[in-house]
Amino acid sequence: MRVKNGFLKGEMKIAGGKFIRCLLRQKDGIITKVTFSGDFFMHPEEIIEELEQSLQNVRLNVGDVQKIVHAAFSDTELIGVSPDDFVTLLFKTYEKN
Amino acid sequence: MEIFHVIPYQTYDAFTNMAIDEMLLFQGTPTIRFYTWQPSAVSIGYFQSVNEEVNLLECERQGVDVVRRITGGGAVYHDHYGELTYSFICPHNMVPQNIMESYRLICSAIAEGLGTLGIAAQHAGINDIVVNGKKISGSAQTRRQGIVLQHGTILLRVNVEKMFSLLNVCAEKISDKQISSVKERVTSIEKEIKHFTRDEVRNAILKGFSCCLNLSFIDRKLDDLEMLQVEKLRNKYESKEWIFKR
Repeated sequence: MRVKNGFLKGEMKIAGGKFIRCLLRQKDGIITKVTFSGDFFMHPEEIIEELEQSLQNVRLNVGDVQKIVHAAFSDTELIGVSPDDFVTLLFKTYEKN
Repeated sequence: MEIFHVIPYQTYDAFTNMAIDEMLLFQGTPTIRFYTWQPSAVSIGYFQSVNEEVNLLECERQGVDVVRRITGGGAVYHDHYGELTYSFICPHNMVPQNIMESYRLICSAIAEGLGTLGIAAQHAGINDIVVNGKKISGSAQTRRQGIVLQHGTILLRVNVEKMFSLLNVCAEKISDKQISSVKERVTSIEKEIKHFTRDEVRNAILKGFSCCLNLSFIDRKLDDLEMLQVEKLRNKYESKEWIFKR
């Protein structure tokens, strides 16, 4: 779904009941901005901002994105969501559009 | 036996309530706090999008505050008359390192306390407390600099219609059928035991903590210096920048 300011929107319900949403803006297959939201838990919480920052200017290639997401979450405890859920949703958002 | 401070009962607005919890988190003194929200408020989880989750126009119309928590999880409607909120703060070495295990310990203590009121409650899922499978309490936790903060709700009475009017849920979810389905999945102290006071609920929860975590308590109030820190933190919680962070 295309929303305001050229952002694509994707949503995913995860087994166990949690929910993630992705807003993605890309140009020529390169991420210009991405944000994730949802009712999951992440400790420490600020890693989400670091992840979003790290994904900026990254090519939308599963291998590259997966590497960055897993590196961002290497010392992070995620509850109700997994690193691969973020990767899956990001590409679902991109490919659906 | 560990000694915890107890801040027996406070009523503040959403921004002050969240600021007090954060001040206590950074202070790190083992503390259990009980509070309510006036005006009633919607709190959203740290990672949630306020525009996606909350019907802001309806909140404004009904005089309901909206605040972002420092903890993850979902959006919660905190009714002034329908809820008792607790926060539990302690150094991380006083609870299991594993977050799921620490939820289990703290939620089980609260369930044990509700048991003393004759309510057969138990910890369920990640962070819920249920009675015969129906949710009566939800919680969220964060950890900063070796200190754990868990805050959560104890439902005293439920107003599902009002909750649905304030949260953005898809149209099919607010159909009568869905509302009755939520009503069937949620319970409250009032539904379980009819007659109670907030003080009885608070004392029961303290009994649960005393019994399960071997705690003893000293009642105290927040002092002027602490309230000064709270005022500073409150500005953050009330700011558009924080509320509309995502």
